Amino acid sequence: MKIGIPKALYYYYFFDKWQYFFEQLNIELVTTDTDKNIIERGNNYANSEMCLSLKIFLGHVDYLKDKCDYILIPKIENFGLNDQMCTNFSCLYDLVNNLFDVKLLTYEINHLKKRTEKKGLIKIGEQLGYDKKILKQAYKVACIKQNKKRKELIIDNLNKLESTNKKVLIVAHAYNIHDDYIGKIITKNLEKYNIEYIYSDLFNKVDDLSFYLAPNLYWKYSKESIGAISYCKENIDGIIFISTFPCGVDSLVNELVMRKIDLPYLNLIIDDLDAEAGIETRIESFVDIIEQD
Amino acid sequence: MNCYLGVDIGSISTKGVIIDDDNNIITSAYIWTEGNPVNAVKKLIEILKKDLDSRHVIKGIGTTGSARKLIGLLLNANIVKNEIMAHAIGTLSLYPDVKTILEIGGQDSKIILLNNGIITDYAMNTLCAAGTGSFLSSQAKRLSINIEDFGPLALKSTNPVKIAARCTVFAESDLIHKAQVGYKKEDIVAGLCKSIVLNYLNNVGKGKKIKSPVIFQGGVSKNVGVLKYFKEILNTDVIVDPNSHLMGALGIAILTKKNKTNRVYDLNIQNIEFSTKAIECKGCSNNCEILRIYKDNKLVDSWGNRCDKYIKN
Amino acid sequence: MANYYIPARYLMEKIVDAEIIESPFITSKTIEIGNKYSPEFVCTPFKYTLGTLIESLDMGANVLIQFGGGCRYGYYSELQKQILKDLGYKFELYNLVTAGKTDIKRIYKIIKKIDRKFNTFKGLYYIFITYKMVKYMDKIDDYIRQNIGFEVEKNSFTNLLNEMLKKFKSVNNPISLSILYHKYFKKFKKLKTNKPKNCLKVGVIGELYTLQEPFSNYYLEKELASFNIEIKRFTNVNYLLFSNKKTTNKALKKTKKYMKYKMGADASSNVYWTKYLAENKYDGIIHIKSSFCTPEIGVMPILDKVANDYNIPIIYFSFDANTSEVGIKTRIEAFYDMIEMRRK
Repeated sequence: MKIGIPKALYYYYFFDKWQYFFEQLNIELVTTDTDKNIIERGNNYANSEMCLSLKIFLGHVDYLKDKCDYILIPKIENFGLNDQMCTNFSCLYDLVNNLFDVKLLTYEINHLKKRTEKKGLIKIGEQLGYDKKILKQAYKVACIKQNKKRKELIIDNLNKLESTNKKVLIVAHAYNIHDDYIGKIITKNLEKYNIEYIYSDLFNKVDDLSFYLAPNLYWKYSKESIGAISYCKENIDGIIFISTFPCGVDSLVNELVMRKIDLPYLNLIIDDLDAEAGIETRIESFVDIIEQD
Repeated sequence: MNCYLGVDIGSISTKGVIIDDDNNIITSAYIWTEGNPVNAVKKLIEILKKDLDSRHVIKGIGTTGSARKLIGLLLNANIVKNEIMAHAIGTLSLYPDVKTILEIGGQDSKIILLNNGIITDYAMNTLCAAGTGSFLSSQAKRLSINIEDFGPLALKSTNPVKIAARCTVFAESDLIHKAQVGYKKEDIVAGLCKSIVLNYLNNVGKGKKIKSPVIFQGGVSKNVGVLKYFKEILNTDVIVDPNSHLMGALGIAILTKKNKTNRVYDLNIQNIEFSTKAIECKGCSNNCEILRIYKDNKLVDSWGNRCDKYIKN
Repeated sequence: MANYYIPARYLMEKIVDAEIIESPFITSKTIEIGNKYSPEFVCTPFKYTLGTLIESLDMGANVLIQFGGGCRYGYYSELQKQILKDLGYKFELYNLVTAGKTDIKRIYKIIKKIDRKFNTFKGLYYIFITYKMVKYMDKIDDYIRQNIGFEVEKNSFTNLLNEMLKKFKSVNNPISLSILYHKYFKKFKKLKTNKPKNCLKVGVIGELYTLQEPFSNYYLEKELASFNIEIKRFTNVNYLLFSNKKTTNKALKKTKKYMKYKMGADASSNVYWTKYLAENKYDGIIHIKSSFCTPEIGVMPILDKVANDYNIPIIYFSFDANTSEVGIKTRIEAFYDMIEMRRK
């Protein structure tokens, strides 16, 4: 059996765990990298005001629709009262169900209603005909493996703070930083100038630190990336904010944070096709600024 | 012989059609608006009058297009209607079984879906002027190409460049970049044509089921490059009528005929002094700009107020 | 928002001992100010409310009160606070709702902070009257929406409404409020209309702020009424505060085919209303929102599907501070032509 995972949005929060979970059940996960073709596919389904990240998501679904038995789309509402998600995560399942003719697997994460990832994955496993005991064991193993991997990633990320090169913190949602299209344009350019970059999503429990910059913030992943700024602001030379046009959360949060920090920063808003030219120039001039002092 | 005049005054061009009782076009004209609809219409009427003689009796006048209200007053029109209706009626008179009308004009673009001669759905562009006629002509100027040569040049390309055309600003910076990097002119032009089509389908045509027969009209329909990509991407035949630019005027003329009274209209408007004056209403801090329309120095109408605080005179 | 400033002011006046400065009506100037100081692609209500806050501060206010909602609405005040501080204003800003949850204890604390002599019993009493007032206003508004397009004497509905609201301001107990309401409802029913039995009917759905603030939707309902159309709108304060949850649950039950999960803000309700309007033989649906309103953008393809299945026309308006008024009028006129043509 094959389950398709669109490499967008929630992929970057859950994929590793799913991989470890489903490999124990002998289920293969199918994904692909974001490229221009994926964006074009997404554009055919998305309406013009949707953010680029959501368009990319729809492009992946379109690519996967005839390459797997099911596509997995969780509905993520919150991880508690003050750990909410952007409303797009609430509509993904129904959006895909109405736009495409595909079989879907789904579960809901809503900690306020005690709907957790564990319960959800076990429910899906049972739907596919597996025994509950095996599933519980598989989930446990998946969690351990994923924790270990994330720890390694975090250590790698934090080690970069020790570098003697100029360092910038890339502040963005994980699905933008690590996207093969959006994030790579930026990291590729930074590498050219020997700038060390640190990802804002790979820190250890820094969400509470967001309090210093944005006291009442209630979006889970924004809290983590803003917390990362508080955590390492003494050790970096600048910040690059990346958001996709027209991200609702970032439009408020980044604006607020930019008003409060006293580090050089660059705010990159990534739009549809071929944004590369403008970005190259802007990164170049930003590098000039941080190299100065 | 009874005849009916339809005038379509757009931001870029002004079109006029005179038809008889059987919807045959007796004469038509197409001129630039040049930012002055009143003068354009005066000029238009003079051109149309040349083909009329004493046998022709004007029994109705209708106006449509963005300046329809103003020109309706000038001509004493018996019907003033929006472009969507006019375009649909005009097209239906020539293609009774049309299912989809694609329209790209100077400032806006629209799609109209029909079934058995009834409009079932429509949409207009929402965001900005990207992908409309004025956008194309400003880009043509930037590339120093005559707008008339734009289409034929696009046909020469074998490898159209990808251009981000979701928004005018983005498209323009992208275009400049592409030109600087050294792409061939025909590939850039073809890329623009293609991006206009993609942008149209993703914006105006989003979620609409495009069924044949498909008819393409409005100023941009004269561009063979854009037409080519519509056919290619929709994978169906797309008809462009030789009179495609006149459909709005034709439609409003037909609507006028349906609404006719026994009144006889004269077309001597050359000496009518027609002026508009904008004043600011001081009723509240909205400061609505109110347009007052004077005909031979007499106030005939005014509009632009959001509330009733403003009282005429 | 629209006439709701009346009950809001009423409540504040009755329960706290402070000078209340009503934020001025939204005008083009408000938008200009809001636009100037707002980030580029926040949704339009942000710009409108920021403009209003600045205007209120300029009038001398020093305590600002705001409500948040179930989407990024809830985060407005934090950024607005910073923007206003950067502009050099001195004030306190209270947001009564955060993270989409109404926390009674917090609200109580806030009120205590503003006025230390606050009396709980008196407070509850006036909250009850205000609640009733909003309920009555929404009922009257419903009736007006259905009939104003057919009024015989111009402005007769608006004038009577203003008269009623004026009287509402001075009531002191629930009974006299109820009597007033019934009296005026009768008066409204007596107003002459020439409504045909099978008039055109249109439902208006979408995002809450744009729906309720007529300035932000360019008086769309007034424009529709001028074509002799009966209008149905579900979103009002009564819905937002009291029947929101019920409607959402009903929506999930009644539209299973299209929707499995609850979606952000009022998106789920809009799916349900679309189906409701289609089933109840309305002639068309108009969906309005401010540009970049995320929950509504996500639900639009689903609304399309429902409308398509039930063969009811639906059009979308996305408003921002620079929308052209003429363009909207043309689209509404065309919409009217279309639904009239479909009737035949």
